[in-house]
Amino acid sequence: MTTNATSGENRHLPNRLGIKGWIWGGNYTIERYLYTLHRITGLGLLLYITLHLVMNGFRLGGAESWTDLMSFFSGPGFKFGEYLVMAAFIIHALNGGRLILQHLGYTLGKPKPPVYPYVDSLRRRRPILWIMLFIIAALAIYVLVEFVT
Amino acid sequence: MRETKLKILQYITGIALFFFVGTHLIISHLGSEEVTEWTSVADRAANSGWLVFYIILLLFGLYHGIHGLRTIILEALPRLSVKSLDFTLVIIGLAIFGYALYIPVSAF
Amino acid sequence: MQDLTFRVQRYLPGKDSKPYMQEFTVPMRQGLTVLDGLIYIKENLDNTLSFRSSCRMGICGSCGMLINNFPMLACHTPVEELNTDTITVKSLPNFPIIRDLVADLDPLFEKHRSIDPYIVMAETGDLNKLTAQFLQSGEELQSYLQFAYCVKCGLCMAACPTVSTDEFFLGPQPLCQGYRYCTDRRDTGAKQRFEKADSGHGVWLCHLAGACSEACPKGVDPALAIQLLKRAMVFDSLRLRKKPEPATPAQPIAESKPKIEVPEFTVKQ
Ligand code: SF4
Ligand code: SF4
Ligand code: FES
Repeated sequence: MTTNATSGENRHLPNRLGIKGWIWGGNYTIERYLYTLHRITGLGLLLYITLHLVMNGFRLGGAESWTDLMSFFSGPGFKFGEYLVMAAFIIHALNGGRLILQHLGYTLGKPKPPVYPYVDSLRRRRPILWIMLFIIAALAIYVLVEFVT
Repeated sequence: MRETKLKILQYITGIALFFFVGTHLIISHLGSEEVTEWTSVADRAANSGWLVFYIILLLFGLYHGIHGLRTIILEALPRLSVKSLDFTLVIIGLAIFGYALYIPVSAF
Repeated sequence: MQDLTFRVQRYLPGKDSKPYMQEFTVPMRQGLTVLDGLIYIKENLDNTLSFRSSCRMGICGSCGMLINNFPMLACHTPVEELNTDTITVKSLPNFPIIRDLVADLDPLFEKHRSIDPYIVMAETGDLNKLTAQFLQSGEELQSYLQFAYCVKCGLCMAACPTVSTDEFFLGPQPLCQGYRYCTDRRDTGAKQRFEKADSGHGVWLCHLAGACSEACPKGVDPALAIQLLKRAMVFDSLRLRKKPEPATPAQPIAESKPKIEVPEFTVKQ
């Protein structure tokens, strides 16, 4: 961008919230924090995939090294980690589905003349969010039960 | 409109991954213990259907993950040049793809 | 009525290395707004306190501040609504501080300007040479009217998590105004705005956190406008976007006889 839109920061005290602003920016409601959760789960999954691909390399070592690796990863700590990955996937996938729909303007409704007290389209469509969160919770509990039994 | 096209790909891979990763996770984490045993792993490795499945999973997963990471990096370090960031990420992506592809293909 | 404690952010460039908080006690009265409280402090307790305001009725967008951790217009916020006796007032985050509570809104205006926030008319000709008004249906008006209520106060920019790290991100207000003009049927400049919103720091860094719409004091709903802009851009790049017909100017009113006969003497003489 060619504008000197940031010029003010050279003249005055910059007051940007920084990365802290991604996590907590003030007293906002749920979408602001789902955004944070989406980011954390996404980064977590990316980290897991990297580890996963490195682990796959053990297959080249043949049956023995693979079985050794699998028994190394069978402890309860790793089981819990595995569950976290599943949960992160469930959250990221369902919230991602909602984001795709809403980024394309679906389920948001049309612009409305603002009449006080103002309600924005996300809040008008809050029930969609509750349904999504309910499905996430149900799936996460189901997977947990599967894991424990 | 470059960014828009990249984002459309992000959406498409996202939807596809929903099904691919879903299947992958159901099979390997919710199924019986045997799936991670060597014979079972070797069995799937010898099957061309599974090979295609894994390659698509890898390709889509890498694109989706790296594009997401790119967005986060662009926001965290806004002064970074978009071109050099893209170049670096493409190189990293190709390297991971090559490494990860070598495993199932060599076992096939 | 109980007294209120105002915790106000102070910062004098050149003297203070970083902002600090100062406490004042302000007597409560019915209908007191946060801006009234600040004016009371300036008039009675400390006349060095700096803040910006003009209309005192939520019209000019000058008095945006971070009040109890939420961006709000000080004049538009009755203390009673805050449900507390302690009121923390800080300068609007994500904007440089000029002094005390005065934020530098230049970055907002620069970005707003950069998205061509006016009606571009390539096909219909020069706006200044038109001979008649454009015809527009009620529905067409509704498609942008809500977004046209923006007062450029910058509260949405203070709320947006992307703006909090990315100084180049266009941000909710400019993107919303970009869409407001793209969807106006008199306008033919959608393409040029799409190109601008398509940069690495453009519309795709909005992740629908919705904080902008929550903060907006005028009910503009910038998050909705931005999603509709994304939709238009995706459809456009897939060549699925229906090109809206340019608006047609109304026919000049034909010479006609006055409906009521005018008595001679009022025209002649
Ligand atoms: S969109 Fe709302 S919050 Fe943002 S500048 Fe306009 S009036 Fe202020
Ligand atoms: S909806 Fe987009 S522009 Fe608005 S606060 Fe969220 S990320 Fe920022
Ligand atoms: S003083 Fe004009 S909006 Fe508050």
